[in-house]
Amino acid sequence: MEMSHIRNFSIIAHIDHGKSTLADRILELTHAVSAREAKAQLLDSMDLERERGITIKLNTAALHYTYNGEEYNLNLIDTPGHVDFSYEVSRSLAACEGALLVVDAAQGIEAQTLANLYLAMENDLTIIPVINKIDLPNADIPKVKKELHDLLGFNDDEIVLTSAKTGEGVEQLIRKIVEVIPSPKGDRHDKLQALIFDSVFDSYRGVIISARIVNGTLRVGDTIKLMETNALFEVVELMVNTPKEVKKQELSAGEVGFIAASIKNISDIKVGDTITNALDPASERLPGYKPMKSMVFCGLFPIESNRFEDLRDALNKLKLNDASLVFEPETSNALGFGFRCGFLGLLHMDIIKERITREFNIEIITTAPSVVYEAVLTNGTIELVDAPNKMPEQTKIKEVREPYIKTSIFTPSEYIGPIMELCQDKRGNYISMEYIDSTRVNIHYELPLSEIVYDFFDKLKSYTKGYASFDYELIGYRASNLVKMDILLNGDVIDALSTIVHKDFSYNRGKSVVEHLKDAIPRQLFEIPIQAAIGSKIIARSTVKALRKDVLAKCYGGDITRKRKLLEKQKEGKKKMKQIGSVELPQEAFMSILAMDDE
Amino acid sequence: MGECLSAYVHIPFCKHICSYCDFCKMFYDETMVNAYLEALDKEIQERYDGEVLKTVYVGGGTPSILKGYQLDKLFNILKKLKRNGEYEFTFECNVSDIDEELLNILKNNGVNRLSIGVETINEKFYKFLNRYNDKEEVMTRITLAKKYFDNINIDLMYAFPGEAIADLDTDLSFFKDLDVPHISIYSLIIEKNTKLYIDNVQPIDEELDAAMYYHIIKYLKALGYDHYEISNFAKKGYESRHNLTYWNNEEYYGFGLSSGGYVSKKRYTNTRSLNNYLKGKYILEEEVMDVQTDMENEMILGLRKMKGINKDTFFRKFNSHVEDNFDIMELVKKNLLIDDNGYIYIKEDKLYLSNQILVNFIGGSNE
Repeated sequence: MEMSHIRNFSIIAHIDHGKSTLADRILELTHAVSAREAKAQLLDSMDLERERGITIKLNTAALHYTYNGEEYNLNLIDTPGHVDFSYEVSRSLAACEGALLVVDAAQGIEAQTLANLYLAMENDLTIIPVINKIDLPNADIPKVKKELHDLLGFNDDEIVLTSAKTGEGVEQLIRKIVEVIPSPKGDRHDKLQALIFDSVFDSYRGVIISARIVNGTLRVGDTIKLMETNALFEVVELMVNTPKEVKKQELSAGEVGFIAASIKNISDIKVGDTITNALDPASERLPGYKPMKSMVFCGLFPIESNRFEDLRDALNKLKLNDASLVFEPETSNALGFGFRCGFLGLLHMDIIKERITREFNIEIITTAPSVVYEAVLTNGTIELVDAPNKMPEQTKIKEVREPYIKTSIFTPSEYIGPIMELCQDKRGNYISMEYIDSTRVNIHYELPLSEIVYDFFDKLKSYTKGYASFDYELIGYRASNLVKMDILLNGDVIDALSTIVHKDFSYNRGKSVVEHLKDAIPRQLFEIPIQAAIGSKIIARSTVKALRKDVLAKCYGGDITRKRKLLEKQKEGKKKMKQIGSVELPQEAFMSILAMDDE
Repeated sequence: MGECLSAYVHIPFCKHICSYCDFCKMFYDETMVNAYLEALDKEIQERYDGEVLKTVYVGGGTPSILKGYQLDKLFNILKKLKRNGEYEFTFECNVSDIDEELLNILKNNGVNRLSIGVETINEKFYKFLNRYNDKEEVMTRITLAKKYFDNINIDLMYAFPGEAIADLDTDLSFFKDLDVPHISIYSLIIEKNTKLYIDNVQPIDEELDAAMYYHIIKYLKALGYDHYEISNFAKKGYESRHNLTYWNNEEYYGFGLSSGGYVSKKRYTNTRSLNNYLKGKYILEEEVMDVQTDMENEMILGLRKMKGINKDTFFRKFNSHVEDNFDIMELVKKNLLIDDNGYIYIKEDKLYLSNQILVNFIGGSNE
């Protein structure tokens, strides 16, 4: 395919604004799938994944479209929508020349849409604004057009109106893609440079790489070299999705596809690395990506300590298509061997936890999420502290700094009050507020990142009935009066339960934490005193009373099977708890140290 | 061993539905009862293998609400179950059903043990249970029953919302006056599918619940009752031989709606659907007990008895030592089990926490 006839694009949208349905319509109209085959939301379909034998997290589809009698190759590269994944968005955007900015005709622009849009603009992508869901009874097209104009400077004639549901406007949109989005630059006869933007592990074919060919041509049988790791492989298969898997003999500049090369060793593949031809290598690597810094850290510990190596293996496999996941071994006196893991945000953390449990069948305990603090020592050096128990001794510390963020909270104006209250409670400083139109505002606050890692999203959602959307950017470190608060169970410090708290709030936090722990720790055979301490000073205490009753009272013939099932269930529950000394702790206990009192 | 020596027969009909009851039961209806007895007859004929039984237990529901001719019919059916010379034959009775006519029928048909649900004579609590238990009437009827039967069990329930130890003492002193040789005690459990659950009744504080349990033990022991199982007390020689079948992990038939049985190494549960039962679809689910599960059950059930597990019996049954299958030492070290004189048992002060101990016997030995 001539490069002038290739268009690489992605779709940027807030969750629920109709990205997947729009993608489906585009697939249908480009005859990638017949209407009969077109089941809802093809790009997300599990059947497809089974057919390909690989689980593709980041999807791409190569489509054919005839425009003015000429055939075009349109590569649709899917992106995740959530704020945590701006890094992945930037990965897929780097493989594109254009992006569709999809905005819901009833909801208007949201905070996350903007964040991803700015990323696209940074990558010099050509943007096509799309107002979707115009069939909705409460669609307000003039209002959303005005938002696109006022906030982002788009003119009426640039905006495409669609209903992915009915198909209206989608044909026009595809024409616009061909007309507006530039064809890729690059030289197919130059030395090979291909950018790895994703990879997954397939048990039959090894690592499968998603790559964008920037320069040169890649052929089946070529020996390739990965420029960062210097690993060499022979290309076994080249494929594109249409969205059925289609084998290719070659991929050349401007094209996007999958590469299988019998790659067994996961660590050889780094997303953002450049592939070149080993026999005729390019002299330079492509710019690649700046890996995003982890914002949130927590410890992951297998409940059964003999599964430590399995957990390492699972993390390695997950890292394969998620370079943003970082981890290193960590030892806890309480929890044994595990890993300190860094995440882009809380959703990212939840997804990884979920995948470890579901896909790898490892029961894990996660410690409460923490941010990275800077401890400035009296000797002038700065230590990065990504876990509370790594905080140096108080006497050696000159000051502690914590990361701050600036928020953009898009909300209907009636929720301004509750949101401001929430931000104040979280040690926020008000900066400014902009009216987007007469009913919606964008609120900016400065907040310590540590205050949003636990329940900020949930609270924001419940305070605004789900109407507010939220995005943030890191604005740097600031000195705060922070101290480490330890938790003692049965008189022993449990390192995995320590937290960093603001000194002014420490007494209240301590009280709240011991009370929450009291409720989270099930009664056991003996009484468990709980204490919160700063240094050697106890600031709060509580007690889990000893269990007094746990018995199957009457047990007759007909009951035996049922009673046994009850015991089996109880045993399952125990398996999800971590034995620390003589105390059994459930997962909730580790999270409860961040829980705040709801008035 | 291995041979079935006991049978439980379920009669799922009641005049009143007690607020706490999650057993399988329905309102009494004469036609329905007759149809049910037909089906019960068929089930027994189909499934009973002719063993000579040492215990039979007719429970419910309320078996005593059957009319005279229905009782005759029931006992005719039960005649098919062969009994040995020292058999125990228990029949569950509601207090208000006890009269000379009933007692004569029972006596004439070989019943030699009664189990009577008294629960409480405290008016505010028996009303809460949706029962009726006038103190004088209970005394009169049980006194009458004692003229016909010496082997009688009565049930005591405790831990009602709002109950104090003093309330419990009223019941205990009444039970003392009834002077029967066997007493079963249960704390109120709010089970799903009961009126109490629907009414969102909350259990009492577990400290008080436990205090009541140990109070009862002390009280009954002082009266000369032997505390021989978690919930059961008996004067010497009056232990329930039928229930010991369960706790000794021995086999038994379960006949009737919702009954459970354990026959030829298979544990089964009968259907709870009267419709299916009448159509002859008796069994809802069954599961073969492999050796591991069987050994686990031996422990879980056996440790209900104060005497506990006899290690020799365990060895004879499984041809393997109990210590080779379960980490007994560890539990002894934690002071959860006593290993003494050939028996393994749970000490009385840990009895009310026995699930915490039993759970270690589920799914293989403790890790």
